[in-house]
Amino acid sequence: MSAVSVVGLSKSFGTLQVLRDIHLSIDAGDFTVLLGPSGCGKTTLLNAIAGLEDTNAGVIEIDGADVTHREPSKRGIAMVFQSYALYPTMNVRKNLSFGLRVRSVPRQEVTRRVDWAARLLQIDELLERKPSQLSGGQRQRVAIGRALVQQAKVFLFDEPLSNLDAKLRTEMRVELKRLHKELGATIVYVTHDQIEAMTLATRIAVMRAGRIEQYAAPDDLYETPQTLFVAAFVGSPAMNFMPGRLDSGAVHVGRARLPLNGYRFRSSPVTGQEVVVGIRPEHVVLARGEPPEQTIVANALFMEPMGADTLGWFQFGEHRLSARLIPQVARGLSGEVRLSLLSDHVSLFDPASEVRL
Amino acid sequence: MTTASRQARIGRIGLYALLVWVCLFFSIPLLVVISTSLKTSDEVRTFSIFTLPAAPSIAAWIKAWASACTGLNCGGVRVGFWNSVRILIPSVIISVTAGSVTGYALSHWRIRGANVIMLLLLLCAFIPYQVILYPLVKTFSTIGIYSSLPCIIAVHVIFGLPVMSLLFRNFYAGLPEELVKAARIDGAGFWRIFVSVMLPMSVNILIVATILQTTGIWNDYLLGLIFAGRDNMPMTVQLNAIATTSTGIIEYNVNTAAALLTALPPLLVYFVSGRYFVRGITAGAVKG
Repeated sequence: MSAVSVVGLSKSFGTLQVLRDIHLSIDAGDFTVLLGPSGCGKTTLLNAIAGLEDTNAGVIEIDGADVTHREPSKRGIAMVFQSYALYPTMNVRKNLSFGLRVRSVPRQEVTRRVDWAARLLQIDELLERKPSQLSGGQRQRVAIGRALVQQAKVFLFDEPLSNLDAKLRTEMRVELKRLHKELGATIVYVTHDQIEAMTLATRIAVMRAGRIEQYAAPDDLYETPQTLFVAAFVGSPAMNFMPGRLDSGAVHVGRARLPLNGYRFRSSPVTGQEVVVGIRPEHVVLARGEPPEQTIVANALFMEPMGADTLGWFQFGEHRLSARLIPQVARGLSGEVRLSLLSDHVSLFDPASEVRL
Repeated sequence: MTTASRQARIGRIGLYALLVWVCLFFSIPLLVVISTSLKTSDEVRTFSIFTLPAAPSIAAWIKAWASACTGLNCGGVRVGFWNSVRILIPSVIISVTAGSVTGYALSHWRIRGANVIMLLLLLCAFIPYQVILYPLVKTFSTIGIYSSLPCIIAVHVIFGLPVMSLLFRNFYAGLPEELVKAARIDGAGFWRIFVSVMLPMSVNILIVATILQTTGIWNDYLLGLIFAGRDNMPMTVQLNAIATTSTGIIEYNVNTAAALLTALPPLLVYFVSGRYFVRGITAGAVKG
């Protein structure tokens, strides 16, 4: 039984369709990230699961119970908002305990849970302070604490780290990961930051225009993207795309012929079919002993040193290619360069349907 | 001292001189009224209104408060004062409370036709009183409460509601929507959210609303005259009666003292809470 199950969910604001027939099944203990560009419907989906947004069609189940028409407070969920939404006139202790007091939880139990959450999040020193006397990171912790004390079945996070500076964000990311490990909670987490998604998630649902493009573990998503959109959206620097043509057991890119011995086609390949060849920058390398017919010739444009490695940019026909290079090797590069595309790692897409072949 | 800084200094002096002069000009009527109220009747008649009282005395104030006559009643303006207080307190409490709840409901809860309600409220806020006076009188006399304390209170609440609702709606619309969402997830309902989350944040706007309603209702003349009934005439109506009573000589010193007594409560309200007033207005305006 899944912790959260969304079946055929649709939602529109007037004529604008925000969610189109969403199907999503989240296992208990999963850290699911809803990832996508702004306007893709990820926050709307989260709000629908929370019950803050009415839906037009479909069913939402939490822990096996149909909650489609239940009040947010009756769904067994807790939520952390982007703006934290702490009650400004209450101190931290009252912020944490508000939900429990509303539900008439016995006073001893309230104190026990608040103290437990405060210790877990290291905010026990701040319990008597007002939200306005807290830093961004502290407010974030309080907001998470307010969700934790609910001991909900599912925790919902709406871009919780986007208001923090870069350093704090990295710290909180680690913190969240630790919390998830310690509590084994089911989490649904919305973000547009793919680094956040890749590092935190056990599974990622990539969304575009109200649809889920792919729901998979971060590694699967990165290595075998199921659509052109997922391939382009996930990964930084982004995947390279070039036109190619299928041959028996190989794909032609420019004058090169890349063998496809290990490629797992989803349907039997058609010889002569035009395809989009996708390859990540780390799988574009300087040619060394490869047979020349398996390499391409490109013009070195410029180098972007990124510390651990250097991103080299090359002009290949009409296309621009990026390659992740060793800094020492990249330094002297200029003019025509022979590049090898590691064919074990290519992804092939149908140019019309944009789906993986 | 350089020429430039000397010129600047002269400019400053000129500026302040002008400001002081303008201040004096605008306060002349008030000063005249105050000085007249401290004179004796003879002094008022004999000398110019700009002469300062020879021997300032608060006799006129005492007379205005306790024994000035309106027609045959010689109880002073204190009768009207207490009438006004009796009208004011329930009217302010009811209209501010109702306005804040309405504003909260309209801003943070999805209500069918909320926009239409808003438009109607806006329209109501700008309808001149005179247009609906007659229908209101007819309505109240049909119900049977015309010319009574509940009647005048109801009228003030009705006329206050549109502005109060708009004021609170705009204030609450400026508060983050996520606060209400968070409280809903915490299990709080409409009233719990209002009382525990929204009201504690509304201190400034509550003060602004109270000031607006207090001054408005205290200064009202027309509605009090029409709806309050003989026994509940507010202070303003009584003041007019005192000033227009034409038996014997006109006691300008008593009239001015009565006028000042009537104007005192709103003045006090402004002095005490002006700070909040400005703060509340900007809080409501800018945060949205």
